[in-house]
Amino acid sequence: MNRKEIWVYLERNQEEIEEVSLEILGKANELGKKSGMPVVGVVLGNDPGDLGNIALKHGADVVIFLKDPLLESYSTEDYTKALFEMIGKRTPEIFLLGATYQGRDLAGRLSARLRTGLTANVVSLDIGEDGYLLSGVPGYGSKVLAEIVCVRNKPQMSTVRPGIFNKTVIPNEAGIVEVVDIDLKDSVSRVKVLSRKVEKHPDLSRAEKVVIAGNGVEGNLDMVARLADILGARLGVSRPIADKGKASRELQVGSTGYSLNAKLVLIFGVSGAEHFLPGIANCQTVISINVDRESGIFEYSDYCIVADASKIIPILLKEGGDR
Amino acid sequence: MRNIIVCIKIVPKAEDMNFDPETRTMKRGGVENQINEADKNAIELSLRIKEKSGGRVVLLSMGPPFFDQYLKIGIAMGADDAILLSDRLFAGADTFATSATLSAAVRKIGDYDLVLCGEETSDGGTGQVPSQLAELLDLPQMLFVSEADIDGNSVKARRTIKGGYETVESGMPAVLSIELGINQPRFPDFRRKRWADKEFSLTVWSASDLGIKPELTGTSGSYTIVKRLTEFSTHQRQRISVAGTVEQQADKIMEILRESR
Repeated sequence: MNRKEIWVYLERNQEEIEEVSLEILGKANELGKKSGMPVVGVVLGNDPGDLGNIALKHGADVVIFLKDPLLESYSTEDYTKALFEMIGKRTPEIFLLGATYQGRDLAGRLSARLRTGLTANVVSLDIGEDGYLLSGVPGYGSKVLAEIVCVRNKPQMSTVRPGIFNKTVIPNEAGIVEVVDIDLKDSVSRVKVLSRKVEKHPDLSRAEKVVIAGNGVEGNLDMVARLADILGARLGVSRPIADKGKASRELQVGSTGYSLNAKLVLIFGVSGAEHFLPGIANCQTVISINVDRESGIFEYSDYCIVADASKIIPILLKEGGDR
Repeated sequence: MRNIIVCIKIVPKAEDMNFDPETRTMKRGGVENQINEADKNAIELSLRIKEKSGGRVVLLSMGPPFFDQYLKIGIAMGADDAILLSDRLFAGADTFATSATLSAAVRKIGDYDLVLCGEETSDGGTGQVPSQLAELLDLPQMLFVSEADIDGNSVKARRTIKGGYETVESGMPAVLSIELGINQPRFPDFRRKRWADKEFSLTVWSASDLGIKPELTGTSGSYTIVKRLTEFSTHQRQRISVAGTVEQQADKIMEILRESR
């Protein structure tokens, strides 16, 4: 017997599971109920720790832990090899991964080895009447939503954008964690990691309040950052600012950065380019400040303020209690 | 250093694209095209590698014959050669069929040390081709690269990962995807452009030139299809204009902030 399964790749972040993986689990649980397929979380590593139980609490019916010392840290080729073998054995119907740096690196390689279809950066997921997975992707600057189907092979693969689905706690008393020793023997990785530098801070898609700096306030970034601080908000930037190396990619908002889910965003000097807009689509209240009255950003704002950022920010700082 | 192959895509300028709700297709008429921005960064990187370590820069693209003009811009920037894969059979390719076609061309070009791509394109935005291409060529991959240096037979690169970056190294050949905006792409050289327009002869390869089976390319080589296109309805915003002096505007912002708590 071969039960049809929905697999979710659980990306590890030290002893934790990435938020996006838990978000996908929640959505997969909903799709599983609709289609009668169990949800299987798949995690690779050497020490299972409590990862399995965390996944079971967030929508997984089963967790498979692929265990091998070579899987302790991520490598494209060893992870691809391990997953390729496991997928060959259990032939899941669907395989979902987070559209993170790691998820995208892995999904492309694995899908090509499996000779199956992969859809990138999806923002909606559903199962159609014909039983196929429908993966929604915004196209052409979010003017359209294209629903994409993988027709010729299984698993149907998609990478899912962080911050789109909600992480939910779904009680599951009967869930099981299967630890599978896969014994890779030798690493097949041809890429050697010489050094790594990471800062750990929760990603922007979780922030309640965000102050965003765009190209128009490039010269006043410090002031905008200070304002974010005073208001208890996180700082975000538009793509040009990150491209110029003036801020980390971790702060980038938009289609190639984070999608925000904030209650409130305050946007300075952003023109409202196509790639920026998906980043603020899920925010409750959008306030935009731009010196250009014709700025495209105003069409996507709740409050439109034509003002010079360098004049209004000092006032906001003062009113916010800056000394 | 052997060939440095740079895969580039000619993309429509996004702001020119509009959805036609009647036909449920994108209106592309009158749309201007350009070399995908991140691919220009990849070209620039390839030229800098060439200047330092030698080799030949070969541009590779797929599309209709009139895309030759964009490849000539790359030649004018300093690339040594350009190949356009053009065949009706290639139309409608998803990222896998695209990668399969490109991989056949990379093999045909041969004698290469690096295959560079932009990290993703502005139209599809999937970023899937670099890793699918690497798998089909059985080469190591390094994605989201912001710096690359050649050291003998290996390439050392800095790649972006969540929360930071890694320095990684692999033997060559290897496939690298290059982050958008990591360098300032040089302008096409005027005299070289004139030469490219008049005398340079672009290589065009069809499916039969590549020796690729038609069923591996285009629509028939694709694993995904677009089931339907719908107009994306985003949340309608209130668009309340806040006028007055800058102090009054600031007061209003503080009021909204207090209310949203």
